[in-house]
Amino acid sequence: MIAFENLEVRYSAMAAPALKGLTLTLDRGIVGLLGPNGAGKSTLLKALLGLLQPSGGGGTVLGVPLGASEAAKLRSRIGYMPEYDALIEDASAYEQVAFWGELSGLAPESARDRAHEVLYFVGLDEARYRPVSGYSTGMRQRVKLAQALVHSPELIFLDEPTNGLDPDGRRRMLDLVLRVHAELGTGVILASHLLGDVERVADQLVILDQGQIKAAGSMAGLRKALARRVELRFLDPLDAVQEAALAELGAVLEARNGLYDLELTEADPVAAFRWAEAKGATLVQLTPRHDRLDEVLLRALHGAPTAARGGA
Amino acid sequence: MPIYPPTLPPAPDLAHGQPPALVLARFDLARLWRQKIGRFFGFAFLMLLLWKVARIYVDHLLQTNQTFKPMQEFAKTILTQGADFQADLLNPASYLLWFLVALVGGGLVARDTLYRVRPLMYAHPVAPRDYLLAKLGFASALPFAILLPFALLPWLMSLILAGASGPVWVTAPLRLLPAMAISSALMGSLAVGASSMAATPRAGIGWVLGLVLGAATLASMIHGLTGIPTVQAINPILLAETWPQLFLGVDHPLMGWAPALLGTAFHLGLWTFVAAKRTMPSEAVI
Repeated sequence: MIAFENLEVRYSAMAAPALKGLTLTLDRGIVGLLGPNGAGKSTLLKALLGLLQPSGGGGTVLGVPLGASEAAKLRSRIGYMPEYDALIEDASAYEQVAFWGELSGLAPESARDRAHEVLYFVGLDEARYRPVSGYSTGMRQRVKLAQALVHSPELIFLDEPTNGLDPDGRRRMLDLVLRVHAELGTGVILASHLLGDVERVADQLVILDQGQIKAAGSMAGLRKALARRVELRFLDPLDAVQEAALAELGAVLEARNGLYDLELTEADPVAAFRWAEAKGATLVQLTPRHDRLDEVLLRALHGAPTAARGGA
Repeated sequence: MPIYPPTLPPAPDLAHGQPPALVLARFDLARLWRQKIGRFFGFAFLMLLLWKVARIYVDHLLQTNQTFKPMQEFAKTILTQGADFQADLLNPASYLLWFLVALVGGGLVARDTLYRVRPLMYAHPVAPRDYLLAKLGFASALPFAILLPFALLPWLMSLILAGASGPVWVTAPLRLLPAMAISSALMGSLAVGASSMAATPRAGIGWVLGLVLGAATLASMIHGLTGIPTVQAINPILLAETWPQLFLGVDHPLMGWAPALLGTAFHLGLWTFVAAKRTMPSEAVI
């Protein structure tokens, strides 16, 4: 779906790169794009939409080279739902979705028919004829999703689609995102700071910070790696030799008061007991640590070892 | 209410759409029509059409009813008028037109800025040149469309009433139309450039009026101080009035060809450049 190698983007020749040497391959699916403000998420989306030319490296989106002359054609295959309220306030949902459809290349009559279909799909029925200035936040988000889907894109970029929604609206929006992928086969890039949203719908994860990829991988792989995190408690404190030998079990993430947080190399935790017996230590407790995604994000951003680093 | 499928069917072929610039201009026209000002224009055009029909009917009466025979004889005595009369055909509309261009053109780009839809347009297959072309085309087509009846209706009535010897030259439209096109492009570029600098449609109206009246005042002040008449070439109101005079060969136009060309090129270039810079994708925050 998307692949880039050593991708670098600068806003001007003198400016520092906003994206630094990104190398990544993403398969068709739902990709969660996480990162703090200024991480480079918007810059990456701009580059993928062909609005910014790479200053170094390169890549392809849906098989089209980044920055190529056919960027306009590529954009007719991509849908984009912005984070902010990009709605034409003096037009109805129906009028503006038809307008965006026409801008994507649909004939006027087809765009009008299509606007009805896509607004029905996102759950806006009779309200579609009212000016959007009177819409609730949830309805406005659905109009934005409808305009991104009106031309049947192969790939859509959703920027904070649950922004400002109540729990029920958030659930309905995430259900729609899942339906878009499952029923329409559309690839989804979901940029969000709400980790719960990403955890619920994404099957791949990319964590960006300061223009660099801090972690990337499949959610399944990530969860599998998370399952290998354990906390070990020994009867007696380990001596220096035993502590050094802990590396044989896996990466030591934290050691405090005889407790050791480890990311095991082997999936089978019984290996830890075998190791303790071999090293003359008495392992009295092994507790699996089920990290939440936000802990993974924080570890990635602060440079500690990450469960799924370095490519999908 | 129609029954829709439970899921979204694929969209029709994307190859049959219209050019983006045309789609954008059509949307602006529909928006203008929705607004009260759009209805005002519609009413004004309807009145002009009714007036045209009424005049044709009056002509029919003149030809067929003996009661109107003296009026018909009088119409035949009207002689062809000079170049000043021809050029003056557009003048009654000029000041009102600047005001209407400010009202409509001031919001053309500013409204997109206010609603933050321009970045979303660029996320579609719309190039910045498409956007600029649509806005400039619409802002220029509007004054041209309003001026058109002022140029054509008197010419038509003159032909109907008195043929080739009527007060309006038979060739007048051939001279008036290019002059109108240049004046309209001048108005359109200034409106779009000013609108691109505004954050709201109201501010856009203020920008257009401020630039037009400001340039006119500045030109008058410099003219008064230096006594050089060609400095009036920076006055867009005078430029718009000069072009019909130049094309119709008026004896003493407001300014000559060279200052008019330079002044018009200056305004067209400057405001198109400003609009292009202010609507670049780099200005888009997504």
